[in-house]
Amino acid sequence: EDADRYASADLAVVEHRRRLLDEWMAWRASVEEEVEEEREARGLPQDPIEGLIKKTDESEDQVIE
Amino acid sequence: MRPVLLQGHERALTQIRYNRDGDIIFSTAKDQHICAWYAHNGERLGTYHGHQGALWTVDVDPTSTLLASGAADNTVRLWDIRTGKCLKVWDFNTAVKRVEFTEDGSQLLAVTEQRMGFLGTIVVFDINLDVDGPQSDERSMTITCEESKATVAGWSYLSKYIIAGHEDGSISQYDAKTGEQLDNVQVHEGLITDLQWAPDRTYFITASKDKTAKLVNARDLEVMKTYVTDTPLNSASITPKKDFVILGGGQAAMDVTTTSARQGKFEARFYHKIFEDEIGRVKGHFGPLNTVAVDPQGKGYASGSEDGYVRVHQFDKGYFDFTYEVERQAKAAAAAQQQQQ
Repeated sequence: EDADRYASADLAVVEHRRRLLDEWMAWRASVEEEVEEEREARGLPQDPIEGLIKKTDESEDQVIE
Repeated sequence: MRPVLLQGHERALTQIRYNRDGDIIFSTAKDQHICAWYAHNGERLGTYHGHQGALWTVDVDPTSTLLASGAADNTVRLWDIRTGKCLKVWDFNTAVKRVEFTEDGSQLLAVTEQRMGFLGTIVVFDINLDVDGPQSDERSMTITCEESKATVAGWSYLSKYIIAGHEDGSISQYDAKTGEQLDNVQVHEGLITDLQWAPDRTYFITASKDKTAKLVNARDLEVMKTYVTDTPLNSASITPKKDFVILGGGQAAMDVTTTSARQGKFEARFYHKIFEDEIGRVKGHFGPLNTVAVDPQGKGYASGSEDGYVRVHQFDKGYFDFTYEVERQAKAAAAAQQQQQ
């Protein structure tokens, strides 16, 4: 009987976590879509630093040990 | 998770920031100079000298070209990261407690302290990312905090809002173009000590002296998650790649009045971002953690303490493998769905 009770308590915890995870993923999906649309509407690049980093000279990138 | 100890500061750490690539760490302390370190081995890359007072804050622009710092000498300084040259000094009436660049590095905000005769403010400067180019003398905007001074502030996604955390535990949302206050919500019961962003800046985490950290939606200031601890918090950071948050704090020895207070509590605490459970602690410091920062690439984190040290940790396999059953199931379900398509 005890084992049954623990099992159902565990199940409740797992179900609760599943709900939290579902809610979180749903919120992320909606906010990501919304921000992407807003970026586009404002004419901003998807990556905010796109075009900011100039091509560096190969020799400058050389690592000196 | 064997840490690398960064030795170079002589006083309490105040802020740590990684650059966008996660290979360089910048740190400030009350000892008047900024340090730059290689994240992978802890070797010191350089120091930036010029401030005449305790340093409170540092930030690096997204291209790792410029460094901004704020200090008790009432100045904000802009530095050429590569050469260490100070490019600009802006003077204020009071100390500067926080600086932050926008996501494209085109603007910088600074939070100034409140003092007799001066209200706390948030000021904005336009930034020229060319180290050889001129920087503007004048601020482009000033927000005055009439109600409660701001202790921390930052720029939201699209640099649409400026979000500030206040001494009274409230959070404000300002229009980043006009400075108009759009909203103010009471989120904490004590002073807000830190505010750090999720990678896309649509939400952030706050740390407070009220012993909690909160995850807040930048658009409507809704509190989405609360992390409850047993110690005043100084810092909180969100990990990319894994759904964790890292909290740092601890009671300073001089503030511990009862002998029953457990020695230490100077641990970095890991909580699950979505489930709000504490999942682990990392010991090591001998004083309260004043600042924690996570590598934007998700490979490690660094903590800075009242004890004067920075400890850099690389995440190990156990960290990346740690998942809840429901997370594994959700991942498997998503993979199965993708296969069907």
